[in-house]
Amino acid sequence: MKRRTFLQLSSAALAADSAPLPSYRVVTSHQPAAKPGMPGPYPGVVASIQAEKSIDSETEKVDRPTVQEMIARGMRALTGQASAAAWRRFFSPSDVVGIKVNCSGAPGAMSLPEVVAEIVANLVAAGVKPGQIYLYERFANQLKTANYEPWLPEGVRIHAAEASRGALRHYDPQTYVEADFFGEEDTRSHLVRLVSETLTKIINVPNMKDHGAAGVTGCLKNIAYGSFSNVARSHRREKTHTLSFIGALAAVEPLRSRTVLHVMDGLRGVWHGGPISPNRRFRFYPRQILMGTDPVAIDRLLLDVIENKRKAEGAVSVWHHSMAHVKSGGDYADDPNVDRYLREPGHIEYASRLGLGVYDINKIQVRRIRL
Amino acid sequence: MILLLAAAAAALPALDCSPTPAWRESGLCAAQDDAARREKLPAPGVQWKVSEASATRAPWVDANGWRFLRNPHQAYLYDLPPGAAALAAAEAFAWQANALLRIDSADREPFARLLAFLRRIPAPPLPDRVNIGLIDDGSPAAGEAMNLLARRNLLFRLVSSPDPALDLNLHLGPQAADPSAFAAQVRRRLSDEKRLLRIYGSDVVLGRLTGDAARARLHLLNYGGARIEGLRVRVLGAYPKGVLAAAGHERAALTDYAVQTGATEFTIPEMSVYAVVDLTR
Repeated sequence: MKRRTFLQLSSAALAADSAPLPSYRVVTSHQPAAKPGMPGPYPGVVASIQAEKSIDSETEKVDRPTVQEMIARGMRALTGQASAAAWRRFFSPSDVVGIKVNCSGAPGAMSLPEVVAEIVANLVAAGVKPGQIYLYERFANQLKTANYEPWLPEGVRIHAAEASRGALRHYDPQTYVEADFFGEEDTRSHLVRLVSETLTKIINVPNMKDHGAAGVTGCLKNIAYGSFSNVARSHRREKTHTLSFIGALAAVEPLRSRTVLHVMDGLRGVWHGGPISPNRRFRFYPRQILMGTDPVAIDRLLLDVIENKRKAEGAVSVWHHSMAHVKSGGDYADDPNVDRYLREPGHIEYASRLGLGVYDINKIQVRRIRL
Repeated sequence: MILLLAAAAAALPALDCSPTPAWRESGLCAAQDDAARREKLPAPGVQWKVSEASATRAPWVDANGWRFLRNPHQAYLYDLPPGAAALAAAEAFAWQANALLRIDSADREPFARLLAFLRRIPAPPLPDRVNIGLIDDGSPAAGEAMNLLARRNLLFRLVSSPDPALDLNLHLGPQAADPSAFAAQVRRRLSDEKRLLRIYGSDVVLGRLTGDAARARLHLLNYGGARIEGLRVRVLGAYPKGVLAAAGHERAALTDYAVQTGATEFTIPEMSVYAVVDLTR
């Protein structure tokens, strides 16, 4: 029998306010690395690279050479080293690297293939063989819609945890978080087996998106809800437990230790109706990429991007927490002043209190590059 | 009237079974019987009431295990729509119910396959393993409470008076007027740690657990219809050895088997309508 670590998170002590939070039981046999990937070697540091040429807002055509330069300049700004050396700082030829893409809003809102392809190219240049690189996401139908395959070198693997919704087969039964949110029968959320058994490093590639439950969905939400099963149970009626559940999941080993780099694809974003948001009216084009090892710091910047855009569009704040703007049904998809849930953008600050990164905007060092 | 006999169910009455040529090819047995004396059962399955408000997001499951527990000596009749025959046969087998099935002719083949599978499964007479005792007032509300306890895999038997050997004894009377709240309250009072059976990865699989001091048998019925890929099961008690038989997946074996903290856990890699797991100490 494997040695197992049981960790009872003392949620109450971490609560942002006096509202009771769920109790989480974390079950894992994995020990943290000496220096966990999150927040990694650059806590509180974000490389922000903006390039007007990166995407055409009319055609949504991406300029790949510009993306190539954005990522190279970002890695240099983050590490102080030239691109190849910077990538080798994180990845060695023996690594098996997972790239956690976000396809939940595909094809309109997703980790763009040009960005993902550039990341893969850099990994290969750093000596990681294509056969040791995996793109992964939870749902097969979303990966199929995203269609990354033509953009990737032969040998790169694409892995969906759930060929059919709810299938547990590709999750690790020994690594999970147990919580009872609303009296649901299945109280466990299992980690993707690929993460616990195969990958040695993970690159997280979220988007700049609004999220009806979490407020925004960036690094933390993508790596947490995108790497565990049975997470939608955390929302019911107007209530969502994303405030604490996102951080609780992101902190689970080995996910925390193995996620060593975040590349937020902000070429194209969504300012309302996320994460799916099929309505093109809510798409916008920040034309930027945020890079770093600290998911909290990047998401803290994302909060401002989404909030400022919503403000400019006359939409209610992601922080509103008022039932006056909450309505069941599908109205949220077309009305930026209607939400399905009382949003929880405080999940980012909550994660900082779990040690996942720096939330205080005054302590975040943004290394800005404009191409 | 043509009725099909779930021949594997041990408690079935002896009928004069004369297969007609049309049925013989399927390996099934057609028989005459008086359906009027049998209690008619709803077809087992799931109703996806997505447009209706409810206490939970879980789909509505039509299952008959609680009826068999309530009236074990009753004779039953399934009058089944297309597609329901295999599940009904598995349900009758799992509960060893005296049940006849009237099936749609289109179901002959899957029904025959399921019966062939059931015939290979020995049916040792093992008592139910439960830790909740219910004192039933016979009311419809009490029946609905039993239904919802079974729906949550809260394993019970009926008792005439509280049984101190059980973890929880409850009267099913007026306090069960809100069956959903009642079932949730029972779960809280028992605690998840003491539950004899937990199922992860599906909210439409219901179990029946039987056993004695040396072994346990777990019947699992998938009311959802769709094939399940990966079902995690926790059975209270330490059973170092487990063997799976899953209808339609004859090569499937239990995976990720673990015995720890007084419980046994395993994964069923795939199952369709029915699976049975035999556990031994």
